[in-house]
Amino acid sequence: MNKYDRAAVAAVALMLVAGAAIFLFAPTDYLQGPVQRIFYLHVSSAIAAYGCFAVVLVGGIIYLRTENPVADRFARAGAIVGLLFTTVTLVMGMLWAKPIWNTFWTWDARLTSTLVLWMIYAGYLLVRRLADPGRQSARLAAVVGIFGFIDVPVVHFSVTWWRTVHPGPIIVNDALPPEMLATFFFSLACTLVLAGVMIAIRYRIETLLDAAQSVREPAKLIATAREPEPVP
Amino acid sequence: MNPFKVAVAVARKDLRSEWRTRELVPALAQFIILALLIANFGFQIDSRNAPSIAPGILWLTLVFAGLVAFGRTFAAERDQASLEAILMTPASPVAIFAGKAIAATLLLVVCEAVMLPALSLFFGTPLGVDMIAAVLLATIGMAALGCLFAALVARVRARELLLPLLTLPLWIPFIIAGGQAVQSAMGLPGNYQEAIGLLIDFDILFVVLTSLAARFVLDE
Repeated sequence: MNKYDRAAVAAVALMLVAGAAIFLFAPTDYLQGPVQRIFYLHVSSAIAAYGCFAVVLVGGIIYLRTENPVADRFARAGAIVGLLFTTVTLVMGMLWAKPIWNTFWTWDARLTSTLVLWMIYAGYLLVRRLADPGRQSARLAAVVGIFGFIDVPVVHFSVTWWRTVHPGPIIVNDALPPEMLATFFFSLACTLVLAGVMIAIRYRIETLLDAAQSVREPAKLIATAREPEPVP
Repeated sequence: MNPFKVAVAVARKDLRSEWRTRELVPALAQFIILALLIANFGFQIDSRNAPSIAPGILWLTLVFAGLVAFGRTFAAERDQASLEAILMTPASPVAIFAGKAIAATLLLVVCEAVMLPALSLFFGTPLGVDMIAAVLLATIGMAALGCLFAALVARVRARELLLPLLTLPLWIPFIIAGGQAVQSAMGLPGNYQEAIGLLIDFDILFVVLTSLAARFVLDE
């Protein structure tokens, strides 16, 4: 077992403990019943997704300034993990919304901006796939990552003056009983550890992919150089 | 070199080549009329529901016409590999980018001059200064973003795929605020003043951001 395997096992074990805390320790909500337990991982994964996209933003800015490939690899790793956590947030939110709001989807500020967030970073990953790897695609992706990060609060703000059904930040408002609050912070910590481990593993994969690429390019050149001259 | 003079020179060059070839504007005008024709058959439009459907048709048409227009911004440069030549001059890349963005915006405004009267003609919706102002304000910000990404993907193989994918999500704030403004200009409930204020804010924000980012886009 290398250090990545150990970190992965530890992160999964932490998530299982968090699951136990959510189902066994946290009290059942008086109004919503057991469905409210979605809250803990729904909010945690949303925060983890924002953290991942902050990695993409910072990585992009550093890459544009210094052209350091390490920053670009971190940005790539952050984007894919962040997209995963955004997907989890959206799906969990829809499952929660169906029994409580009686619909899977509504064009609320938070839902709209999360969907736009998902679209932007899905586009970011497509850029990385469609553009030829190298400096050009890294720069293109860095600009997408920076604009995407700015666009999301803008979308959120511009929908807010319509109407909003999504509950506001209840954690800062002190509206949760202490057991729920403790469970929330514990599952948030576990989710952030999981996100960190996933980014680290993805960073390792991106490093290996870059190394493979740097071997493949010269190999291609050698192969074409040795081709016999066509007979006229 | 004075960057303003460079930008104006690049914009004039682009507009002159469009005037001589007359490629983009007639094609886009026809595209817009066709989009309105399709919308007419896709919806059951009569004089009662026209104000609630027409704003959506307007933005859909404008967004896709804009994608085509901005996709063409760097087409001539790419075909004749003249972008490298322009960049080799001592002119700053930001000024060159600004010139191309200004030209593309003006071409799109010409297309809007076809679209808005046609919309009003076919669907009987009012065509007032308030609606034109909202569309023009949205055009500024959309053009800044559209040209930035058109420049970014100009040398990427799959640029036709990437340009809409990258640009459309970033245009959404303009569609939200512009949509609200056009809806209230057509007589639906909505706060026109607030939407216009928001559009101006977004224009300032994204024009500043794109001019900061333009430096990294065109220097190779």
